Amino acid sequence: MRLHHGVRLAVVLGLLATGVACSGGDGSGGDGKVQLTVLSHYGSDPAKAGLDKMIAQWNQENPDVQVKSEVVKFDDLLTTLTVRQTGGRGADIVSAYGLWGGQLQKANVVAKVPDDVAQKIKASYSPAALGAVTTGDTLLGYPTELNTYALFYNKKILAAAGVTKPPATWAELADTAKKVAKRDAKGNVQVEGLSLIQDGDNKSAHPFLSLLDAAGGSFLGEDGTAQFAGEQGKAALGLEADLAGAKATDPSIMPTKQFRSGGVAMAIQAGWWVGSLKTQMAGKYSDVGVAPIPGPAAGSKGSLAYGFFMGVNQRSKHPDEAWKFLTWLNEHQGSAGVTGMGEYLAGMGLIPPRTADAATLKKSLDDPNLVPIYDAAEYAMPEPNLAGAYEAKTALHNAIMTVLADGKSPDEALTQAAKAVKPQ
Amino acid sequence: MAAAPGRGGIHRDGRAAYLFLAPALLFFCVFLVLPFLFAVVLAFSDWGGFDLGTIEFAGVSNFADVLRFDGSFVRPILVNTLLFAVGSVTLATFGSVLVAYCIDRLSFQGFWRVLYFLPVVATVVAIGNVWKMMYQPAGLINGVLNKLGVNSIGFLSDSSYALPAVTVVHAWASIGGAVLILTAGLKAIPEMYYEAAEVDGANSWRMFWQITLPLLRPSLLFVLITQFIGGLQSFALIIVMTTDGGPVNSTNVAAFEMYQQAFKFGAWGTASAMAMVLFVIILAITLLQLWIARRRGEETS
Repeated sequence: MRLHHGVRLAVVLGLLATGVACSGGDGSGGDGKVQLTVLSHYGSDPAKAGLDKMIAQWNQENPDVQVKSEVVKFDDLLTTLTVRQTGGRGADIVSAYGLWGGQLQKANVVAKVPDDVAQKIKASYSPAALGAVTTGDTLLGYPTELNTYALFYNKKILAAAGVTKPPATWAELADTAKKVAKRDAKGNVQVEGLSLIQDGDNKSAHPFLSLLDAAGGSFLGEDGTAQFAGEQGKAALGLEADLAGAKATDPSIMPTKQFRSGGVAMAIQAGWWVGSLKTQMAGKYSDVGVAPIPGPAAGSKGSLAYGFFMGVNQRSKHPDEAWKFLTWLNEHQGSAGVTGMGEYLAGMGLIPPRTADAATLKKSLDDPNLVPIYDAAEYAMPEPNLAGAYEAKTALHNAIMTVLADGKSPDEALTQAAKAVKPQ
Repeated sequence: MAAAPGRGGIHRDGRAAYLFLAPALLFFCVFLVLPFLFAVVLAFSDWGGFDLGTIEFAGVSNFADVLRFDGSFVRPILVNTLLFAVGSVTLATFGSVLVAYCIDRLSFQGFWRVLYFLPVVATVVAIGNVWKMMYQPAGLINGVLNKLGVNSIGFLSDSSYALPAVTVVHAWASIGGAVLILTAGLKAIPEMYYEAAEVDGANSWRMFWQITLPLLRPSLLFVLITQFIGGLQSFALIIVMTTDGGPVNSTNVAAFEMYQQAFKFGAWGTASAMAMVLFVIILAITLLQLWIARRRGEETS
C-alpha cells in the first residue's frame, strides 16, 4: 500500500537524518588536513582578538594542522562543555577554570598531559599557577590565566579619614574600615568600609580564603575534607563578622559597580580588576592603590590564586597535534623577551603564569598597582580543584553569607559548612 | 459508514489516525519520555556528566542524600519552593480575580486586558532586571519608603525579605495570563443569573460571592493548577534577580538547585533524584487539587 511505503520512507529518512546529525566529524578535512577546535571563554576583545591573532599565525605556519577557535561567555562555558562532550561533539582543546579540573578529570574529559610536556610545564610555571591547575598529583594542562588577590583601596577616601598608608594588620584593616564607612540617616550605604564580596562566581569565598591564607589556614585537605573551620578560619570569619556588625561591610554592595564612584573604600579583589578600573575610572584611576592583604600580625600577608588551563580532550582524535599546538601557543616567543601567551595575558592586565614571563614583565611594569598582584603569585594559596571543590566553595559562600547578612556566629557557620563538604 | 476493521485489528481510519498522531507522539517520546526515563536511571546512579560510559549504579543513595533532614534540600530549598509557589499562586489568583472582575465592568476592556497581559509577553530577564533595580537600596521602592520616613530595606540582600520580594514579582508577572482565562470564564456566566439576583435585591458583593465565584470555579481550578505547577518549577526569575539563590539560600528553589547540582557541580545523580522528588510532589499536589475539585462536582477536563 502507498501508505506503508510512505511510512517506511519517512522512517528511513528520519534515521538517516538522525545519523547525519549525530555523527561527529573526524576532525580531518577532505584534503588530509587536521582540523582542531579550541573551546574557550575568550569571546570579547581584547581577549578574542589576541587569541585569534595567535591562532592565525599558527594556521599560517602549519598548513596541515588548522585550528579553529570557538568561544562562549564564561557563564556558559561549563554548560557548553558538558553538553557538547555528552553529545560526542567536544572540542579538541578545552580552556577551563581550574576549579572545575577535578570534575573534568573524574568525568574523563581532560587527557593526561604527556610526560615531556608535563616536565616542561612543571619547570616553567609558578607554584601558584601549577597548584591552581593540578588535581591531586595530576596536572590538567597548560596554565593560562592566573589571578591573585590583593587589597584595593581608594587613596582619597582613606586620606580624608586621616589614613595615609594601607592597613598592614587585621586590627588596622578593621579600624580603617570602620573609620571610613558612612551611611545616611535612612541607613543607605554611602561608603562601604571594606568589601568582602564580589560579583560573579567567586562571591564571598575568595576574599575570605585570602584572609584565611593570611592567617596561615587552608581551604581543603588533599582528600577534599574541610580545613577552613579551624582556628584560623574562625579568626578570619570573626574579623568579617566584626566588620558586618559595625556596618563597615555590607553584602548588598557590589564593589565592581560601586568602587569606581567612591562608594567603596577598600575591597579584597582579584588582579584582573586593575584593567577594568583603569577603563572605568579613567582620570580618577590615580586614586586607586593596591596593597597585599594583611594578616593578623604585622608582616603577615596572604592571597588566593586561581587559574585557568588549556588541556586536550580525551576524545580528541588528534591528541598529538593538539599538544603540539598547545606547546607552541604557550611557548612561542613574542616581542619584549616574553612568550606570545605571556604578552597576550599581560596585555589584558593578567599575570602571566610562566615564571620567566612574569619576572621579565615585572621589571617594566608601568603601573605600581600591579606589583603587589605579581608578588602575590609567590605566596598565594592555590585554589583547590578536587572533584567536589566547586560544591565546597558554594557551601562556604553560603556559610559566610549567614554571618555577613544574618549575623550568625562564625563558629557555627563554619562548622555547618564543613559538614556539607563531601570528602572525595 | 465506517470501514470494517481489517484482519490486523486496526481499520484503515485508525491507521490514518495513528499516522497523523505519529509526529506528535515521536516528538513527545524523544523530548519528554526519553529524558524522563533517563532522569529516572540517573536518579539511581552516580554520574559526573560528559561521558555516558561512566554512569555507575548507586542504589537509593542519591535519594537518601537529598532527603536528609540535616541537608539543605528539604530545608530550606523544598520549603522555599513550596512557599514561593503557594505565595505566588495565592497573590496571582486573588489579583487576577480582582482585576478580571473589575475589567469585566469597565469600558475599553481590550485595552485593560492588553495592559495586564504585557508582563506575560515580556521576557523574564527584562522583568527580573527592572524589579531588581527597583528593589536596590537606592532604587524606586526604597526611595518611596524613605520619603515615607521608613529606612531602606535590603529587599534582595536580606534573607528575611528576599523570598517574599521575588514571590511578589512572580505573582505580578503571572496575573496577565490568569486574567485572560478568568475573563473568558466570566463571559461564560449567563447574565440571567445576575438579573434574577438583582430582582431579588442582592447587592454586588453577594452576587460576586454567590454567583460569580461559584460559576468561575472551573476556570479558577485551571488557573490554580497551572500556576502552581509553574510556581514549583520556576527558577529563571530567581536566577535573574538573585544570581545564586541567595542570600544564604533564602531564594534557592528546587529547580535552581537541580541546575546547580547538574551543571555546576557535575552531580547528575543528585540532580535527578531531586527532580524525581519534585515530580512526585507536583503530581501529588495536582492530584489533590483535582480530587478536591471533583468532590465539589467540578468538570475539569
